[in-house]
Amino acid sequence: MENEKLVELAKKISNNRDEKAFSEVFDFLAPKINAYYLRNNMSFAQSEELTQEVLSTIWTKANLFNPERSKFITWSFTIARNKKIDLQRKNKNRKAEDEDIRQFLYQSNKTSDYEIQSSIDKIKQELDENQKKLIKMSFFEQKTHKKIAEELEIPLGTVKSRIRSTLTKMQKFLS
Amino acid sequence: MNISTHKNELIFGYSSGSLREAKSLFVSMYLYLNSVAAKKASIFDNILAENLIHIDEVAPKKLNYKDCINDDIGEKFSSSTKNNHNPLSNLVGDFKNINWKSVYKGFKEFNIPVNDSDDLKLIKMDPGTSVPLHSHNGKEYILVLDGSFHDEYGEFKKGDLQINDQKIKHHPTASKKEGCICLSITESDVVFFGKFGSALNLFTFIKSFFK
Repeated sequence: MENEKLVELAKKISNNRDEKAFSEVFDFLAPKINAYYLRNNMSFAQSEELTQEVLSTIWTKANLFNPERSKFITWSFTIARNKKIDLQRKNKNRKAEDEDIRQFLYQSNKTSDYEIQSSIDKIKQELDENQKKLIKMSFFEQKTHKKIAEELEIPLGTVKSRIRSTLTKMQKFLS
Repeated sequence: MNISTHKNELIFGYSSGSLREAKSLFVSMYLYLNSVAAKKASIFDNILAENLIHIDEVAPKKLNYKDCINDDIGEKFSSSTKNNHNPLSNLVGDFKNINWKSVYKGFKEFNIPVNDSDDLKLIKMDPGTSVPLHSHNGKEYILVLDGSFHDEYGEFKKGDLQINDQKIKHHPTASKKEGCICLSITESDVVFFGKFGSALNLFTFIKSFFK
């Protein structure tokens, strides 16, 4: 689904509490968010529970989504990621009444995504398929270097040096 | 590895959600104060989010969209998401009311309680206060929240981040005009290995109670 369409649905959710619009967002996002958590080594039950929380947050907070500042998918990703951070924290014997770390995390995106789109495009052009795969495995799926080495059947040292050189390449387009 | 690589790795770690509590809060504050860093985080967020578009989908088995239209579930988070919100102010309140602990003349600290082996604290240096030449065992991250300081490596102002490791010796001095308030992280104590490792670790463990 294109960003434009998602932005339109988000507006309907926020302005009209439109359940039909929400069901479309759900059908598009829930299988992706669920897959993201599963790839981050969660059990199916846990993954579904967090997916429910992410979609519930989208339902209640659609008014906070600002299309000028970010794409809908990026906004949704940051919600999913922050829930993952919070879960990791709860797993460490946190008490239920302990405060939710998400309220202390950086939320607002002051820079517009369109402003930075050219950097993103350049990075995507510069990185080859293998490098994109490494970024995905290491930062999106949070696989350890050891696990990546096993899956790609390359030595651990190679994984480390390739990730390092990919990040170095990306840095050129970050400033 | 140079300093800008360290900084970027911190930002990438934040975007991917791999940082623990102390560093998550620290980077949140860094992004809040530093627009260049926020821009980098945004670029990386976008790149990571694109993976979501192309992911091999796995539909939830039990979940239905109606299960998510539950204002009660969202409710408990709703008060917390304010845009443009200073990430630290909820945690420690107004800087004016902080119960600083004096370390030595002109130098005060406040430990921020986090569930992490990394120490997160606020440091307040009165105008012109110097810290004697020192280096660090683990890595130290310093973010200027207010005022400024300078050392052998230059001047650090609000929103600037300094990362120090074992190789770095420095002698920071707070600005004479306004002093300096910083947020700092010192990484956890070294864990010792080898023949006497367990005795040394026990010593570090006991020592941690007297911090």
